[in-house]
Amino acid sequence: MNYENLDQILNRALKQIDDLKNDAPMSDLIDIKNRYLAKKSELMSILATLGSLDPKQRKNVGQKVNDVKRQIVDAIDTKQKIIEKHALNQKLVNEKIDISLPGKNYISGYTNPFFIIKKEITNIFLNMGYEVVEGPEVESDHNNFELLNIPKDHPARDMQDSFWFDPNTLLRTHTSAVQAHAMQEANGKPLRIICPGKVYRRDNDDATHSHQFAQIEGLLIDKNINMGHLKATLELFLRRLFGQDRQIRLRSSFFPFTEPSVEVDISCANCHGKGCPMCKGSGYIEILGGGMVHPNVLKMNGYDPDVYSGFAFGLGIERIAILKYGIDDIRRIYTNDVRFLHQFKKSD
Amino acid sequence: MKVSFNCLKQFVDLNNISAFEVADKLTFAGVEVETVEPIASGTNLIIGKIIDCKDHPDSDHLHILQVDIGPKYGIKQIVCGAPNARKNLKVIVAMVGAKLPEVTIKKGVIRGVESDGMCCSLLELGVDKKYLKDEQMSGIEELNDDAPIGLEDVLTYLGLDDVVLDLKVLANRPDLLSVINIAREVGALLNRPTHLPKSSEIGVDKFDFKVGSNTNKCVQFSAKVIQGIKNVESPHWMKSYLMAMGIRSIDALVDIGNYVMLVSGQPLHMYDLDKLSSNELIARDDFASPFVALDDKEYQLQKGDIVISCHNQAMCLGGVMGSKQCAIDKNTINLVIEAASFDATTIRHTSARLGLSSESSMRFVKGTNHFQAEFVLNYAASLIKEICGGNCFYKNIHYQCEQYQDKFIKTTLAKINGRLGSNFDLKTVVDTLHKLGFDIETDGDNLKIKIPNYRLDITCDADISEEIIRYLGFEYIKSDLPSLHQSVGSLNQHLAKTRYIEEYLTKCGLDQCLTYTLVSKTKLDEFNYLFKGEPYHIINPISEDHEYVRLSILPSLIESAIYNLKRQNKNLSLFETSDVMSKQERGICLAVVLTGQDLQQGYLKCKPIDFYDVKGIVEGIMNEFQISPTRYSIEQNNLVEELHPGRSALIKIGKQVIGYCGMLHPTYMQNKDIDKTPIAVLELRLDYIYDMKIGAVKMCEISKFPSVERDLAFVVARQVEVKDLIKEAKMAGKGIVSNVDVFDIYEGENVTNDCKSVALKIIYNAKDHTLKDQEVIEAETKIKESLQKKFHALLRG
Repeated sequence: MNYENLDQILNRALKQIDDLKNDAPMSDLIDIKNRYLAKKSELMSILATLGSLDPKQRKNVGQKVNDVKRQIVDAIDTKQKIIEKHALNQKLVNEKIDISLPGKNYISGYTNPFFIIKKEITNIFLNMGYEVVEGPEVESDHNNFELLNIPKDHPARDMQDSFWFDPNTLLRTHTSAVQAHAMQEANGKPLRIICPGKVYRRDNDDATHSHQFAQIEGLLIDKNINMGHLKATLELFLRRLFGQDRQIRLRSSFFPFTEPSVEVDISCANCHGKGCPMCKGSGYIEILGGGMVHPNVLKMNGYDPDVYSGFAFGLGIERIAILKYGIDDIRRIYTNDVRFLHQFKKSD
Repeated sequence: MKVSFNCLKQFVDLNNISAFEVADKLTFAGVEVETVEPIASGTNLIIGKIIDCKDHPDSDHLHILQVDIGPKYGIKQIVCGAPNARKNLKVIVAMVGAKLPEVTIKKGVIRGVESDGMCCSLLELGVDKKYLKDEQMSGIEELNDDAPIGLEDVLTYLGLDDVVLDLKVLANRPDLLSVINIAREVGALLNRPTHLPKSSEIGVDKFDFKVGSNTNKCVQFSAKVIQGIKNVESPHWMKSYLMAMGIRSIDALVDIGNYVMLVSGQPLHMYDLDKLSSNELIARDDFASPFVALDDKEYQLQKGDIVISCHNQAMCLGGVMGSKQCAIDKNTINLVIEAASFDATTIRHTSARLGLSSESSMRFVKGTNHFQAEFVLNYAASLIKEICGGNCFYKNIHYQCEQYQDKFIKTTLAKINGRLGSNFDLKTVVDTLHKLGFDIETDGDNLKIKIPNYRLDITCDADISEEIIRYLGFEYIKSDLPSLHQSVGSLNQHLAKTRYIEEYLTKCGLDQCLTYTLVSKTKLDEFNYLFKGEPYHIINPISEDHEYVRLSILPSLIESAIYNLKRQNKNLSLFETSDVMSKQERGICLAVVLTGQDLQQGYLKCKPIDFYDVKGIVEGIMNEFQISPTRYSIEQNNLVEELHPGRSALIKIGKQVIGYCGMLHPTYMQNKDIDKTPIAVLELRLDYIYDMKIGAVKMCEISKFPSVERDLAFVVARQVEVKDLIKEAKMAGKGIVSNVDVFDIYEGENVTNDCKSVALKIIYNAKDHTLKDQEVIEAETKIKESLQKKFHALLRG
């Protein structure tokens, strides 16, 4: 037995291991391992013959054989890691997917712009400490008219303008009807409410008219409330809704349940008050109506007008939505074409 | 109210002030001017005379005109198509460069002939069709022979240099349906003097004529008799004013009546004295007979209508229309003018019932001044004298059942400033009110204010504060947020919960919709299961489509779905929440309509909508409100006919049906003309859910020991509900079974007919120790035995 033979084995083994390509099948490496390290391999058979050698030689040969074995094992291990890593990389490459395919659907639904506006407005007043209340859509003419200082013979009470169920019951024509309920429930105490709700008028539906639409009514009653409070409240509200750069102006107007009454205009978003086709040259767009609660209304609903005063205002939700989003036909809001609904971003 | 700017200028000094400035001022003071429009417009116009007119050689209707437009511009050749173009006619010429409402005139060649301008009709100058006669519209305008050639200010010459202000007169200011009162308002707002017509009575003799009233619907009735007039054509100025204010000229008497009404706000009526059978006119409301009106039509009078009678015959439907019988005409010589006040409501009802509405009736409906008859009659008489002559003017005759009393309002400076949030001093307030026509007595800060008789709207001190601020301008009011006690804004309970559900459903991918409350009878009868009591029925609907207050949202939402499906919007998930009410009950409903594919990952992973999609929404909502499945039940549907009987369910709390869900019945779909795409729907009474009590949340102990998971598949009859299997399995394994879920249902090969295989995933767990195999096996055996016993369930190999 000579060492040269062992060196040859070692060199041969290392070369074969080294010659294996990185993408060689693992079985090739196992073949090499079996060839050199299995029980019946040349190297192992040398080991098996150790017992027949004299002790001195036995030690040297044994050491040498183990040294060769270790070197081969190390080389195989190293090679194995390389092949494994290579195989893994290859596997990962093969596992590549098309990341351009659609993801799982987590898109939330869309909201009719009507509700977006309703929520935006409601939230602004909630933050100002207002309570949101609702009233019935079916009303007595007493609540809808009488308690709002609209007397029996007033043209607004004409049959032809409202939907009637009997001579005393109708679908409310404005959310102002909720005022009466709220004031009577408040029992002479201060009040700070808004009431969003559906209202109905006997109009034929077209691009700008709807027999059903919705309003938001605001009402604040307390001691020493004046017109300046109304002005500031509406300025705060409208700038929050339409943008801080908007100008607000009041014009004298008339509603039976407020005195003085005002129409409130905001500067046109398009021309900032200069005048353009969008605002029909006026620079301003009419947004809502309001005023100081009429002393008769306070009196009829349980307040002493010499102690309490208040302001009220009302606006049309669809009108705001139409203005804000440039909607061309109010009927779109009630048709729910999903190609329409899917255009509107969700509430801020 | 359309107001002629020229007419207005008669009564208030508007020198150097444009109609736009006036409009602006009025608008901010509460009298919105909706439009300011010239009645005609055109630049580079000139009056000319056709001195030669030849037919165009290349046309069967065109003429080649030589038009003399004076020494400055000479003679122009104009090609003109008007049939009435002829030699010696005086015409309006729009010279090259003229800007007319629709066109700008350019030099041109028409069929080989040069044309240097255009002869115009009034239509081409922008005058509204309704004021023009047919011949004026079919040809060019024919000017009088005395029209001055070469005159360039043609619009002024024609009285067409006027601007019309269209005022939106609000219900509280009927006084502004009068040019005089508008002049007062404008004078006050612009600080300009007014020149109102003087009222002086013409005629001293008395005529034996009686006026009166037998009804409280006519509280004032005045008249004047005039004899020997000639009903000629109106003068040019009056025609122009009337035209500008939207009224067509008829003859002098009719025109004077209309003009006085426009100027004063008081409608007049004129009777031909010679056609009256006696010398009296009495207002009554007890006629119920046919009435032939001025328009030759017969109307049926009712008791309650205000009628002016003469010798027991109806001569006039008061405030609405006169009779044919005693109407003035071209030959009228002697007449009676009526200036009366009629009850607004009665006029409104009568004119609505008969479909007769006029400038007069409109004024009575809105309210007239009962105390200006004297002035009105005098004004009319002076115009008649000026235009129609007349040899006998008799004294005004009056019937008046109430005497005018001055009205006063007492208030204080502090009250005014307190309401407005302003800081006006006494002088400002007093000056302002003075300018607006109020007389004031002051005593310190106390004000006693006398209301002018034409201001019907001023009744309390709030009105006074409005007068002041609308005059001075709202910019004087300082913005000042109210300082109030702190409070947390809040939605009422139901609103807050509805908002929560709406947000939840949108987050789940459903689209929030809005539909109409009013529905047809057909829709009303569909899905009508959740409300007791009669529906609200509109007695005066606009159409059959909107006749009832709905008792279910679903029919409307299904309609929205159908609208979308017809437009190839195939995958729909729609919902709506709304108040729903019958005469007996009011509740809040949720409706859901799903159809098409549930796109979990686009069309790569999608599944058709089915029953379980809507059922899942019910479970999801209940879960959101912490209502455990034991507190409600989802049961077989034996109620809702519009749903597929085998693929629908009722949702119940106790015995109360609070909703239903499922697939639409094929017959219903057929009736609605929907193709085969299945549609799943849900409707739920949310108010029942809101009212359920929810216990406080308390943490439960979580087991520290591992759980064991075992799958078992059983074969059972098809009709066995999995819900019952799970319930039984839990019962049988009570103590160590912590959960049972179904994970597969299989029917078909290897499973007996009419049977199904149900695979259950059973989780075993103990709170106090790690389970031993033996325990699990024992529990499993119990479950198998009990399912076998109860459902003949066989373990599937």
